[in-house]
Amino acid sequence: MKYADKIFHMEGVIVEIHDGSVSIDMKERLGSLTIPKRMLFCDTKLQIGQRIGWSMSYPEQMDGEPVERYVRTIENSKANKKMYQQRAKEIKNEY
Amino acid sequence: MSISKETALEHKNDPAVLCCRAEEGIVIEAHNLEDPQIFDDLVDSGLLKLDGALTIGQVLGAKLTKTCDSLTPLTADVLDGYGKAEEAEEKEAVKKDLLHKQPVRSDEIVSAGNTGVLKLHIGEGKDIDIELPLGVSWGNGRIIELPSEPAEDVRNESAVSGGTASESTKFVRSLTRKHFKITEVLRGPETKIEGTTLYIREGIEKECVESQDLVVDLHLDIITPDQYDTYSNTIMDVLPIAAKEGETDLGTGVTRVLDGVIFMITGVDERGVQIGEFGASEGILNQNIMWNRPGCPDYGEIFIKTDVMIKEKTNMERPGPIAAHCASDVIVQEIREVLKELDESLVVDTEVFEQVRRPEKKKTVIVKEIMGQGAMHDNYILPMEPVGVIGAKPNVDLGNVPIVVSPLELLDGCIHALTCIGPSMKETSRHYWREPLIMDVMEDDDFDLCAVVLVGSPQINSEKAYVSKRVGMTVESMDVDCAFVTTEGAGNNHVDFASHIEQVGMRGIPVVGISWCALMGALVVGNKYMTNMIELNKSEDGMENEILGCNTLCHEDSIRARAMMKHVLAGGKVAAPDKKWNGSANAENADIIDAVEGIKMERLPNETSLPPNEKHIQREKEKAQGAE
Repeated sequence: MKYADKIFHMEGVIVEIHDGSVSIDMKERLGSLTIPKRMLFCDTKLQIGQRIGWSMSYPEQMDGEPVERYVRTIENSKANKKMYQQRAKEIKNEY
Repeated sequence: MSISKETALEHKNDPAVLCCRAEEGIVIEAHNLEDPQIFDDLVDSGLLKLDGALTIGQVLGAKLTKTCDSLTPLTADVLDGYGKAEEAEEKEAVKKDLLHKQPVRSDEIVSAGNTGVLKLHIGEGKDIDIELPLGVSWGNGRIIELPSEPAEDVRNESAVSGGTASESTKFVRSLTRKHFKITEVLRGPETKIEGTTLYIREGIEKECVESQDLVVDLHLDIITPDQYDTYSNTIMDVLPIAAKEGETDLGTGVTRVLDGVIFMITGVDERGVQIGEFGASEGILNQNIMWNRPGCPDYGEIFIKTDVMIKEKTNMERPGPIAAHCASDVIVQEIREVLKELDESLVVDTEVFEQVRRPEKKKTVIVKEIMGQGAMHDNYILPMEPVGVIGAKPNVDLGNVPIVVSPLELLDGCIHALTCIGPSMKETSRHYWREPLIMDVMEDDDFDLCAVVLVGSPQINSEKAYVSKRVGMTVESMDVDCAFVTTEGAGNNHVDFASHIEQVGMRGIPVVGISWCALMGALVVGNKYMTNMIELNKSEDGMENEILGCNTLCHEDSIRARAMMKHVLAGGKVAAPDKKWNGSANAENADIIDAVEGIKMERLPNETSLPPNEKHIQREKEKAQGAE
């Protein structure tokens, strides 16, 4: 990485809880995170509205060239989503 | 932060540094001293110089002759009545002795650097707060190590045991695997096996869908090796297709299994969102699978792959992934029924696993931590058929408490895994079916494997403590001489992983811990019993590389783990690791084992062996040039 780590404390609030994941809105309207539950440490049961804290730095571009493998996967994934959504519609229409 | 008397004793040979301002004339006690585990980071950041510092053992009870600020190393010129450097001399003598023996080697697990903040408070008239990067969260991310020196006595004992093993073993039970070869998978009017061709009934998909309320669609794909370059949804599981012969329970009798073909589950919800979409392994199959890992397909195998669509927004809820697995099992179950009836003449290979006890050897238990946080972080335990779902209980419903199974039950498919962690760390159902550590310890004449303990990893820390204490009590009741504790991947499961090791270690039982940690999954908690650790990383840079099964437990890891355990049991010590993970430790440990045991271990392939990785392309080019 080119820039020095500027580690700072970040806070967010739990806005969604699922059996497998937790969504956290970062304070200051800086974005949101959805992470697997197992990546979140907690002493008590998770509840919407609880504050979550972590340390982070600024994300930084690692190189200028897109990675072909990721580009292909992203494109495939988008096409895939459309295909499944269409199929789901057709199935619903059948019934 | 000041340290306790116990900590001071543990670190008596480490440098003594004041944790707070101290006045002239005080007698130095443990609470005046800083925890040596943070010194590496302070030295790195230039905030601390340890030149001339006396050891903790030397300074305790000495009188301070000059008022000093916090973080001042205690040197001879500010102390009166400090002890002589006896320990230091002794340490030096040990070092010299070691020079004549094998080089110290360490597998290392290093906590992710720069992940925390160390806060120091200096009360000197006015308050000063210093914040600086703390490279580790506990004890300098120490860990792992292999034999600091090959234990001669371990080797001698091994030689003796080889000659007496048959006289002192006690047969418990056996499990026979009969293999049936499949070279072609086709669709047909009925599910059947003719010779080496498996036919799957046309239209079976409808029954799969109807079996589960949450499943709205299911497609079945047959993937042959020439189709490995096709796109696939994220791989949820890889399963062997196996069935019990007759009425026997798992772990006993005869199991029939198909060779040359595996079952694979993939899926999305109605929005097209992957089931358990985090670092999902969707993409081109041959770019995303670490072939021939215990939990992965072997190169050349045919995949029977389901593509399940579940109801919208159920992909992250517990019933969603379960429905995908249960719907897929309808197909496997139909194949199982056919497999049960196959003519004996089609058997191409027979394996017999014998569970024997070796009462004269070290009584051993393997504790396997499995996921239990919910949704896809769950496992179906003890189904009626190998890796089935019927009759099984999800470990989340069982409260994640320890379940004792026999090694043969585990190898006979007693876990149907709803895997969904980082793809490289996934222990799929097939991983348990081919679990290398359990297979190897069963066969190792130096161990008396008594049981495998499966323990789930709950989400909440209080629940983690609850199940971990049960692990301690379970292992205590077994009166074992040693324990291996393994877990899959990283995350909050490392909290209970550390706790399991502590619960076992505090009972005076030597433990070897096994996990993927490296850089990205570095441990965030630890305790004084976590001194013997095996790193499962195979990726190039210590990161989750999104390649299915790449960083899971392999036979090579099992060799290092058993060597470490034998060394510890023989009274050997495991050296501290390098400060930061650098990937060289495993290789050097392997070198020691090669030198001592004559077991050669090649470095296992990782992401660089797969297309279209740049290193792979470069290597292919070099090969081509070489051929010209």
